[in-house]
Amino acid sequence: MSDVLVEAHALGKSYPLVFRSRDRLRALWHLLVGRGHVESIAVLQEISLCVRRGESLGLIGENGAGKSTLLKLLTGVLTPTEGRVAVTGRVGALLELGAGFHPEYSGRENIALSAALYGLHGDEVRAKLPQIIAFADIGRYIDEPVKHYSSGMVVRLGFAIVAALRPDLLITDEVLAVGDESFQKKCVRWMEEYLEQGGTLILVSHSMYHVQKLCRQACWLRDGKVAASGDVFEVTQAYLAYQERKSASQTPAREEIAGQGLEFHLLDLMVNGEIGDAPLVVDRGSDARVRARVHSRDGRAPVIMFGIVRADGTPVYGISTEMDGMRPLRESENVYSAEILFPVLPLLPGSYLIKAHPLDPEGVRLFDTLERGLTIRGQSREFGLVHLQHSWIGSQPAAAPVDRSLSAAS
Amino acid sequence: MPALNLALHLIRRDIRNRYLGSFSGGAWALLQPLIQLAVYGFVFVYVFKARVPGADAPGYVPFLALGLWPWVAFSESLARATTVIQDNAALIGKVALPRAVLVFAAVASSFLIHCVGFCAIVLALRLSGVPIDLLAMPLALCGFVQLFILALGIGFLLAAVQVFVRDLASALPQLLMLWMFASPVFYARSQLPERYQGWMDFNPFTQYVEFFRATLLHSGSVGLMAQLVSLVVAIAVLAIGFVVFRRLGPHFEDFL
Repeated sequence: MSDVLVEAHALGKSYPLVFRSRDRLRALWHLLVGRGHVESIAVLQEISLCVRRGESLGLIGENGAGKSTLLKLLTGVLTPTEGRVAVTGRVGALLELGAGFHPEYSGRENIALSAALYGLHGDEVRAKLPQIIAFADIGRYIDEPVKHYSSGMVVRLGFAIVAALRPDLLITDEVLAVGDESFQKKCVRWMEEYLEQGGTLILVSHSMYHVQKLCRQACWLRDGKVAASGDVFEVTQAYLAYQERKSASQTPAREEIAGQGLEFHLLDLMVNGEIGDAPLVVDRGSDARVRARVHSRDGRAPVIMFGIVRADGTPVYGISTEMDGMRPLRESENVYSAEILFPVLPLLPGSYLIKAHPLDPEGVRLFDTLERGLTIRGQSREFGLVHLQHSWIGSQPAAAPVDRSLSAAS
Repeated sequence: MPALNLALHLIRRDIRNRYLGSFSGGAWALLQPLIQLAVYGFVFVYVFKARVPGADAPGYVPFLALGLWPWVAFSESLARATTVIQDNAALIGKVALPRAVLVFAAVASSFLIHCVGFCAIVLALRLSGVPIDLLAMPLALCGFVQLFILALGIGFLLAAVQVFVRDLASALPQLLMLWMFASPVFYARSQLPERYQGWMDFNPFTQYVEFFRATLLHSGSVGLMAQLVSLVVAIAVLAIGFVVFRRLGPHFEDFL
């Protein structure tokens, strides 16, 4: 089961710089007889990676880091300038938007073409057609030319085709970004099931939530090189920390906010005894202690609120001193603080943000925000945000630990 | 064989779209050479009073028809092959497909359509009393296959070069027109001044026109040696075209 599906060794790609037609002629001459020089710009350098059957790899990085180019090299759409890449097995690829549709032809014809490209024959395609159309769920548009589709519909159709073909290796590029909520869920569910049944996935996404949910490994590309690779939680965390540092220069500094003369502003936010911008990585089920200090201009006691949101902004929990009937601690004439302990944090593995806000004593107006990244490390098959206390009533424990791959396949 | 399966799919789609896609578009593929024949026939027969030289010469219209259909198949397939890579840029940028199949399908579908047209016009001429040797039809179709090999070779070259040199597609119609008049489509080689007749051998298309006329109309004759040479030329052109296409193919995506 551990055969290698994708192996890339010291992969590099340079695009020729051809703006003038003279350059194109020179490039043609260069390629035909191997003489002459063509200016080029390197977009990928020294990329080595290996994906085995059953693995799932998330590719992350900023725009222009070379993620899409790497996928194109892996699928064979582009030819590497340096190094080599070997891919075995049937590959289903959704590169950028479109999945290789011809805009003039109808959805139905494009399905047939994709299937032919994949090596299916006419009757095999006809057998799968209803399944594809049902999954895509784009109604009468299936008979319209693809150029009339919205980008969401194109992705729906593309994903439906790939889902029906059941490739050994699925390569997707930002597919989940354009679909609506329900289609995203459908795709994620399908991919989870596909992975359980032994499928192999390479996913490009800007959503750390999706990467963490679907992938075990991650590879972070920065300026065409591998910045980090390995366990998905560590790599995404390093990436988020890097993003945090980049945007730190864009958010107003603490001193600036202090200078605005607001009635209340935050002085600092401390998580597990640490102050700083770097996100925190803790194991699942750890305690979390959060402390915020607030400056009060007039010496009045503020209400201090703490919240946890998932990295994509979904709120998980919020609580203020006022809700629990607590008063913040007065440290000095103008400084109040509050500290809260979440014992055995029930958050499921993933990336979250801890936020703190000072409110006026009535608990109505919100003045300031400080946040800190928090990543929960661990593996879990549970869904959602938090682990809820539960017990099974009347069910017997399974005799032997159930083999995941077998039970899912049967 | 997946490439063959894909080629068949593309050819089928191409033909279906040109026949059923639009109301007039389908018939157009067959009608276009027919209209050309009517126009040229009118101009040359009624205006210029053109005659095919020779004692037992055939009428001018069948003489022209046997040259015109192969030319239309040949020139149309070249024009379509030239732009086929660019036209499918969206596909090439997203899916790793054997690109040669696209050129093959473009050339093959043009040839299939006009081969059917050719058979139809030959039958029509025979029914209208032109002494066409129908028994030679299989031989003539072999000539069509050989012309297909030549067209495929040139098509590979043009398709590959077009990706780099965009002017090619706009210059091609003019070049093809020159080529048509430089080939004995409207005239017989024997009508040329003596000293130019030999030059015709350097035009690979000459052999095909003369071959079709010799086999079906028994007008003029072609030597076995010349026929062999032209077969070798066709295969050599295909080999060169394919090598160039294979060489440039991996870099198409960088220049599209």
